[in-house]
Amino acid sequence: MTHKLLLLVCCIFLLAGTAAAETVPCDSDGDGTLTASELATAILDSLDARFMGGTVEVPSSDDLRDAAFVYEHWDGRALTITDSSGRETTLSRPLRKIAVFNSDTIEMMRSIGVESDRVVGVSKYTLEDPTYFPEYRGKANLGSTWAPDYEQAAAVRPDAVFLYATISQSSCDEIEETLSSIDPGIRFFRFDSYRPTAYADEVRTMGALLGKEEGAERFLAFHGSVMDTVAGRIASIPADERVSVYLENWDDYKSAGNGSGYDEKIGLAGGRNIFADTAVEYPAVDPEAVISRNPDVIVKIVGAGELVFGGYGDDDPAPFEEVTRAIEDRPVWDRIDAVRDGRVHVIHSDVIGGPEYFIGVAYMAKWFYPDLFPDLDPRAVHQQYLSEFQRLDYDLEEHGAFVYPV
Amino acid sequence: MNPSVMTPRRAVGLCILIALLAAPATAASVERTLTSSGNDLTVTLTVTDITVGGIVETIPDGCTWAGTDHPENRTRVSGQKVAFAVVGEEAVRYRLQGPAEAGEALAGTWEDLETGESGAVGSDGPGTPGEAAQTTVPSTPGFEWAAALAALVVLCVRRCGR
Repeated sequence: MTHKLLLLVCCIFLLAGTAAAETVPCDSDGDGTLTASELATAILDSLDARFMGGTVEVPSSDDLRDAAFVYEHWDGRALTITDSSGRETTLSRPLRKIAVFNSDTIEMMRSIGVESDRVVGVSKYTLEDPTYFPEYRGKANLGSTWAPDYEQAAAVRPDAVFLYATISQSSCDEIEETLSSIDPGIRFFRFDSYRPTAYADEVRTMGALLGKEEGAERFLAFHGSVMDTVAGRIASIPADERVSVYLENWDDYKSAGNGSGYDEKIGLAGGRNIFADTAVEYPAVDPEAVISRNPDVIVKIVGAGELVFGGYGDDDPAPFEEVTRAIEDRPVWDRIDAVRDGRVHVIHSDVIGGPEYFIGVAYMAKWFYPDLFPDLDPRAVHQQYLSEFQRLDYDLEEHGAFVYPV
Repeated sequence: MNPSVMTPRRAVGLCILIALLAAPATAASVERTLTSSGNDLTVTLTVTDITVGGIVETIPDGCTWAGTDHPENRTRVSGQKVAFAVVGEEAVRYRLQGPAEAGEALAGTWEDLETGESGAVGSDGPGTPGEAAQTTVPSTPGFEWAAALAALVVLCVRRCGR
């Protein structure tokens, strides 16, 4: 009982800070729409009080700043958005303090130009990757979706927490439940930020939510230029003439079944997954089955499991070559067309498993149909993504190992 | 993505990158241009990269307010001060009566309400964010402590309940 009483007191105390969050600031007539005239009056009242000796009641600078945002980005009205879990949320003020448990979402936010100073806490995975996320060094460590640090998450007083939409739903539900009980004013948003089918919609929704509409459209134009080029050129290839592909993740003989993310990406690149008839998402397959299905191309993913090398923090391509040789040397695999024709490719999970999947799709399309894509340079796409959208000083000519053969 | 060994070269690069990321993304500014004809002074304030903001100009002694093209409901005059609300405008023009040389004594300040940047009219760039915004409501003292306490209580309740 004592615990519950103390919790109630804390909640009331925290609620006091968010009680006024439901109306559009500076909407003086209370009709739900902040007009240019209402905003101008609020600005003049504020300037009058601070610089001209005026004595009228003025909005706080926080109200004024939030009003400017709502007017500029949301047409002066509260914004209702639907996240990737299908939940609708209505906001009448911008999100200023964001906590993000999902590093894919942090990357998506950076793609559209969200300033790092709006982010008050990140996952331990973001902090463990200072090469890729240098600007988040020193932010509060929220732990992970599976082992959250609630004390840290509550201490940074986020006004919004971002979680995965379809991964670890029960863990994400528990985080929501716990943090809501600490501070009922926290808003929760679910985004995956890596799934191709939802990617463009998530970027747009994120742009509207965080006032980065232009950044979102600029990024989607870039993303679309790659994906549309690939889709446009493979469209004319009949289904039965498409390159057959065996994809194996970092575990030997672990492939991708129907409806899995990798199955989808093979399709986006114009390939035909030889295990697309398998209902299991990531099936363990029989080596004999690979031989009998005789794929034209083999794609091996590294960067996780027993094959943790390459990516942004490792410049050595040698392990990629070793993995390729190991696949080619598997017993009887020299009968497979892909091995015989030298079409075994290794790709790092960074550029196919997360928000950078479209770079992986570009690589695979070029591997599957080199004659169709003589002008597509996946490495240049990757470099542009890093320099222009991730704003990283990272030169792929000098650093990183992502694919083999290069 | 794996953490890498921090070489001196990479460390320098990282420092440069952090410095670049820390820099303001835009270069908001308000520049003043004066034209005079006899005793009439026309002042044009050119607003760059400020969508919603405010400008306050101090009219020097010897000059008097003579009007503006800026909307009436976005302009306020009080004594020798004039305030303009900027809501999408790229220029603000107003008129004074007075000698041409008095125009040189004009002084003003601007604020970008979206970014919190502020600066002096006519200066090259923005000042410290929030510098001129003095009505910021201070955060509630002890709030972080209370949040942490609430977190501990919740955890304690949850653990005791298992």
